[in-house]
Amino acid sequence: MKVNIKSMSISTILTIILIVFMTIYAELNTGFKDFLKNLFGHHWVAKGIITVIFFILSYFILKNFISDNKKVKEIVAWVIIATILGSLAIFIFFIYEFFI
Amino acid sequence: MVHFLIGAHAALGEVGAIGFLWVLIELLNPTTTRVRRAKIIALISVVLLFLSWFTGGYYYVNIYGEDVKPIIKEGPQPWVHGIFMETKEHVFLFLPFLALLNSLILKKYEKEIIKDKNIRISVIALCVIIFLLAFAIGAMGYLISSGARAALEANLG
Repeated sequence: MKVNIKSMSISTILTIILIVFMTIYAELNTGFKDFLKNLFGHHWVAKGIITVIFFILSYFILKNFISDNKKVKEIVAWVIIATILGSLAIFIFFIYEFFI
Repeated sequence: MVHFLIGAHAALGEVGAIGFLWVLIELLNPTTTRVRRAKIIALISVVLLFLSWFTGGYYYVNIYGEDVKPIIKEGPQPWVHGIFMETKEHVFLFLPFLALLNSLILKKYEKEIIKDKNIRISVIALCVIIFLLAFAIGAMGYLISSGARAALEANLG
């Protein structure tokens, strides 16, 4: 089976966005954090399992619509941008939450 | 206090990250042999990062939350949990997916990567981000351990 790299890159970007969203929203909304906790016993475990399921599902959905080609540089650049921005968003949010 | 799972988690993560540094070096001047070796190292590194996730996760859920977190929060450096542990545990989740993507790009374009500079640069750039992120996470782990130690020392005094 040939992997569709474009679809997998977009899945990675969407997964990063989902992690950032779940992380910040769970801190701001205790109901959501409790929902995650009730789902798998611990909010962090729930985030991990949801993330893996989302990554796999989004890849298999996207690969039906997106055709792959060898021009991976642009999409990988977006993966890296998403990683940097996602990391900074989480870091800055927890600085804000701790001090304010 | 010091649990072997902390060491296992850190070692698996850092060796996985160093694996991607190795991949980067192999691709600076690629040959068929070097690319084949890079592909194998990348795959092993993916497995190591997933194992680091599971060992760290088991420790975090079953030991850290119960025994270590309350001590740090009451110690002189509560910010190491509030800022660095919270950041570490969530940013870490990016790593296995980035590593898997990089490994699969390498696998798919194994034959083209020697001549296609753009694919090579993409894999190298992903190696850099994986390596830097993993070592930043390792540094956060060091701060968290220091926070726990400072809290224990404060209680002894």
